[in-house]
Amino acid sequence: MSERLKAVFQTKPAGVTRLISYIMAGDPTIEVSLRRLRGLADHGVDILELGVPFSDPMADGVVIQAAAERALSAQMTVKKTLELVQEFRKTHNTPLLLMSYLNPLLHYGWDRFVEDAVEAGVDGFILPDLPWREGQGLRTRTEKSVGNKLSFIPMIAQTSREQDIEAVSQVTEGFAYVLSRNGITGGEVEIPDNVSVFIESLRDSLQIPRCVGFGIQKAEQVRALAKICDGVVVGSALVKAFAKLDQEGLEEKDLIEQEKEVFTWLASLKQ
Amino acid sequence: MVKEKLHVLSDGGYETKGHFGPYGGAYVPETLVPALRELEEAYLRSGQDESFQKEFRELLQRYVGRPSLFYEAKRLSEQLGGARIYLKREDLNHTGAHKINNTLGQILLAKAMGKKRVIAETGAGQHGVATATACALFALPCIVYMGEEDVRRQKLNVLRMKLLGAEVRTVTHGSCTLKDAINEALRDWVTNVEETFYCFGTAAGPHPYPTIVRDFQAVIGHETREQALKELGKLPDAIIACIGGGSNAIGIFHPFIPDPEVRLIGVEAGGTGNKTGENAATLCLGEPGVLHGAYSYLLQDDDGQIVVTTSVSAGLDYPGVGPEHSNLKETGRADYVSISDQEALDACSLLCQTEGILPALESAHAIAYAAKLAPRLSKDQVIVVNLSGRGDKDVETLAQYLEGGADHE
Repeated sequence: MSERLKAVFQTKPAGVTRLISYIMAGDPTIEVSLRRLRGLADHGVDILELGVPFSDPMADGVVIQAAAERALSAQMTVKKTLELVQEFRKTHNTPLLLMSYLNPLLHYGWDRFVEDAVEAGVDGFILPDLPWREGQGLRTRTEKSVGNKLSFIPMIAQTSREQDIEAVSQVTEGFAYVLSRNGITGGEVEIPDNVSVFIESLRDSLQIPRCVGFGIQKAEQVRALAKICDGVVVGSALVKAFAKLDQEGLEEKDLIEQEKEVFTWLASLKQ
Repeated sequence: MVKEKLHVLSDGGYETKGHFGPYGGAYVPETLVPALRELEEAYLRSGQDESFQKEFRELLQRYVGRPSLFYEAKRLSEQLGGARIYLKREDLNHTGAHKINNTLGQILLAKAMGKKRVIAETGAGQHGVATATACALFALPCIVYMGEEDVRRQKLNVLRMKLLGAEVRTVTHGSCTLKDAINEALRDWVTNVEETFYCFGTAAGPHPYPTIVRDFQAVIGHETREQALKELGKLPDAIIACIGGGSNAIGIFHPFIPDPEVRLIGVEAGGTGNKTGENAATLCLGEPGVLHGAYSYLLQDDDGQIVVTTSVSAGLDYPGVGPEHSNLKETGRADYVSISDQEALDACSLLCQTEGILPALESAHAIAYAAKLAPRLSKDQVIVVNLSGRGDKDVETLAQYLEGGADHE
């Protein structure tokens, strides 16, 4: 695990919990996503997730599907995503994880990709179409190539069987991305009331920090989850807020002002 | 070089079952992993369950009308000059295509697993109709996802699904064809996984689907083998089948894989040309990658994005292919070729006029390749074409073609 990612879980969070944000690289442009990454980091986000756009995002709801379409029509690529991270690293030390479907990364060439990712300052990956047990080959290959500089963040679902959770519990670093419910990203499906029972049930089996994501968009959800987990992920709600601004056709100066309100709203979630 | 670069997922050995050489696997969201394992377990149990097997066999005989005919197309063969052409008449099955073999098997599994709701994707609508049919027979609610473009060009099948009591949900993003219908069905499944059975239509997707669909469709190949031995006293020299995802092809190929003297030829949609986006010839023109849960050949651009495909035939208009076909290509056991829209349309007319049989535009691709191959073979050689479906659903597209319009793109 990178020192940057390690540091997040070695210290107490500012506010009620650690906050993980998600935006899509290149939505609507490279320059704007860079500015937003910096803004998020400056407003107390603990870990940044940066989406790599893909034409067929089967685990995503309408909000992130639309973000991927916008990024792709603006000619975003894997290479440009890595350049974006490199640019961000010149000014910020906040840990950053790439969230990507497998195919664009495989097509880039995995060995070249992990080397370039380390050089750009990426701290790890969340790969929604690589379940933990299928990922052994890729993890081994990555470790041989770049050591333990890049973390593979495991996902835990409500449907996960004990044997899967056991496999993940062998992991000694990073954190587990716990899905609040079955389904795709976005706020269209409510988080069930029993989510706290589920997260509590992982207390013994999962030794690494547990961060919860999917469908989180309100302060009261964050407060409730903060008591039982180590961090929360806000994705679609944030992408939607920025997309709304982008559709208004504002002058750049006004857009920047409005973005600050989004940053402040996000920061307020963990107060 | 390509292999070195791309076969990285299997580095260090295969973690899960369901690989065909380096291809296959189950690259799906974690939420679906237990559902796929549950399906695999139910499938393995069904293989040992005599009453399940008996019910499936009886449905195929008494409901589908199997065995399907093994018909010598004499006038077609005569006109082409060369090999004798036989047609495996899957078009005569109940619902008009091979798809029903698979959906009856899967719906029996759904029933055995106690699932209360069935979802499916469809391209040409044949799998949607076959799923809706099996669901009507077993009183299960059925939702079919279909791309907007396919809803437009396969109106007859949309109507049939509705008559059978299914709900057809139109998918309006991406290319609005089969790949987008699969994305949407997967999103439904991951959301409603506990009560839902996903009836997958082709021998692609995550493990165990490529194996399950192949095994339910292998009845085509087993019958062909028996019929050929009985009628000809030998195995055929070549077997030709069209390939979208590849279920009718793997179904007829599979029992012949151990017989090297039988050539296996898969025919892909060559569309309007060889440039990116002009066709759906995945094995001929693609590269390996991951889509819809499997590592297999894909049509993709320079950045690993899936490209929009073109084919006059909705059932072949898919940028992926089943993983077992990728491996048959890699090992050289099967050959894969492509046939253009125009050649398929011409073959459709040819079969109508020589044999009085209207093939589906999908199957017309296989006929078109047989028409190219037959003259190069001798009169004592035999080609079997899997006539996977009938063409009633395609009459609108064919009408445009007959009127000389090029509006089929």
